[in-house]
Amino acid sequence: MSERGSSEGLNSKNGQAFIDEFLDEKNMTVKESRDVVLVLMKSEEMEVVVDDIILGEQKKSNPSIVVEDHASYYWIKADGQIVIDVDIVADIMGRSYNVYDFLVNVSSTVGRAFITGNVFTLTTELVGLDEALV
Amino acid sequence: MQSVKPSGHSIMENTKRAVRAPTSVEAQEVHRYLMDFKWEFEKNRTKYGTKYEMANLTKEQFKLTAKEYARMEAIKEERQFGTLLDGLDRLDAANRVHPRWAEAMKVFANFLECGEYNAIAGSALLWDSAQSPEQKNGYLAQVIDEIRHSNQTAYVNHYFSKHGSDAAGHNNPRQLRSVGPAFRGIKRAFGDGFNAGDPVECSINLQLVAEACYTNPLIVALTEWAATNGDEITPTVFTSIQTDEMRHMANGYQTIVSVINDPKAKLHLNTDLNNAFWTQTKYFTPILGYLFEYFSRYKVEPWYKTWNRWVYEDWAGIWLGRLAKYGVTSPPSLREAKQDAVWSHHDVAILAYALWPLHHWRHELPDEVDMAWFEENYPGWYDRYGRIYDEWRKLGFEDPKSGFLPSAWLIENGYIPYVDHVSGVPFCPKLAKGACDLRILERNGRRYAFSDTYGEQQFLLEPERYEAQDFLTQFEGWELSEVIRAGGGLRSDGKTMIAQPHLRSDNMWTIDDIQRIGMKIPNPLKMH
Repeated sequence: MSERGSSEGLNSKNGQAFIDEFLDEKNMTVKESRDVVLVLMKSEEMEVVVDDIILGEQKKSNPSIVVEDHASYYWIKADGQIVIDVDIVADIMGRSYNVYDFLVNVSSTVGRAFITGNVFTLTTELVGLDEALV
Repeated sequence: MQSVKPSGHSIMENTKRAVRAPTSVEAQEVHRYLMDFKWEFEKNRTKYGTKYEMANLTKEQFKLTAKEYARMEAIKEERQFGTLLDGLDRLDAANRVHPRWAEAMKVFANFLECGEYNAIAGSALLWDSAQSPEQKNGYLAQVIDEIRHSNQTAYVNHYFSKHGSDAAGHNNPRQLRSVGPAFRGIKRAFGDGFNAGDPVECSINLQLVAEACYTNPLIVALTEWAATNGDEITPTVFTSIQTDEMRHMANGYQTIVSVINDPKAKLHLNTDLNNAFWTQTKYFTPILGYLFEYFSRYKVEPWYKTWNRWVYEDWAGIWLGRLAKYGVTSPPSLREAKQDAVWSHHDVAILAYALWPLHHWRHELPDEVDMAWFEENYPGWYDRYGRIYDEWRKLGFEDPKSGFLPSAWLIENGYIPYVDHVSGVPFCPKLAKGACDLRILERNGRRYAFSDTYGEQQFLLEPERYEAQDFLTQFEGWELSEVIRAGGGLRSDGKTMIAQPHLRSDNMWTIDDIQRIGMKIPNPLKMH
């Protein structure tokens, strides 16, 4: 089990069992994580992004990706990075659509997100510190 | 990697590009040109000095030009207002919201409005402080975003007041919220936390902690609670707000990138980060848990799970954890913050119920269904809090003729409430199960209460920053109905109160019911 889902890992426990582990001494300091989290506001375009890109080519290259439907948004978590080539999204939809159009529905990120050309990248890497941000 | 066969659209676009002379330049190329137009100064000439040296080579992660920014934001506005004013209006969406949740939105929309308004100034002072043109560009877009968000949150109140079932509290809360004791903590967290003092500290408060960490439960997770309780209005607006917050988080990261190699960062950064984390946690953690769990009929999950996912595992692990190799350490206040994530919202909830006449929302006591859920998820909840709610109900909590005020009951039974002088958050040491360590400090003839050592330390370092009086000191000796009148806490008939201890439209409390009780505001600091 990946324990990456929003109700997995510690969050699968309930009541006192959760509280005991949550407040356990071993969990009183920050634990480094190489995951990234992407939140997409539901829209026509984001259905394409989730179905064809994230659950398509991204999931093939990164099986750790988890996608959850949280009523008003999609919550997506992955190890390492998520990359969206917006030109592919435009091709699938058959109309003009660039990376700024894509940002209209990107509600949140945890990790380092940036754009290069028409590609959106969300990565665990410390861009601007460990590697240059172009 | 191109995994999709080119569509007719892309073939047409490629053909156009091949046969036509260029008519415009790509936005990111324009961005590169613009960033080369900059003034070179030997020293940073900002009005807002910082103890850090902000490097001038940091980059903007989203490469905004005015044209693309304006186009993007215009699409957001068209979609949001189109949904609200067409689809949701026709569906009578405001009257499909569960009445409890509609009351929660009187609080959420107002306190987010305060945050957004203060963030205008916060991001503007950062624009002035930064040296890197790209960093300035990111901060400048944020200034405009925050103006948009102030309008959006005000519009949520407008929409509910125009279309919903109880306008009072949505349409006239600004005066009352400045007086109400449950709302004042926002002034520390969202007010001077965002826009007073060292700009880098402001950035850590605003962008690295409030936005990168707490807007995720506040603005993202909230939309799931809203939708679950019949509210389609809030998700439409709040997820749109958050699409800008995503860039603000990047701004906060670039602040860190700009200072982390400065030798002074080794001296100050971890202290500033701990202070900012505690400042924001002290207000966000109890208020969000209180609003989610006590104002919902249908509960998504216990607040501690939301906090564990968004604050501890993701924000702390992915932001702070990854920066460990640059010397960022675990905030010492994380221990107390986690204890608060389990219990502080229950501590604040019981005081919020006790102080109900001073709010701009209506609030019903937890019923049997709520109590069973609380006890299942927070073992021991009933013995600490639930039995008091049951007792209050028996004593006539809801009945305007009962003459019962829960705040008077608390004092009569030895549950003395205080206001933490730094965070502005009320607390009761005898009831608290969250992190609480009552400390009374006397200084220059004044007494101050603190609920923790972190706040006390912040006060001792900068006492001039915390000159404002807390609610109990300011209104000591006032009769309760006078405070309500002074805050504008009455409905349009000039008699019925905005705040009510139930959600019905009959048997509502009037100012006369409060005046008849004759309760005087005590100052607990004089009881020591």
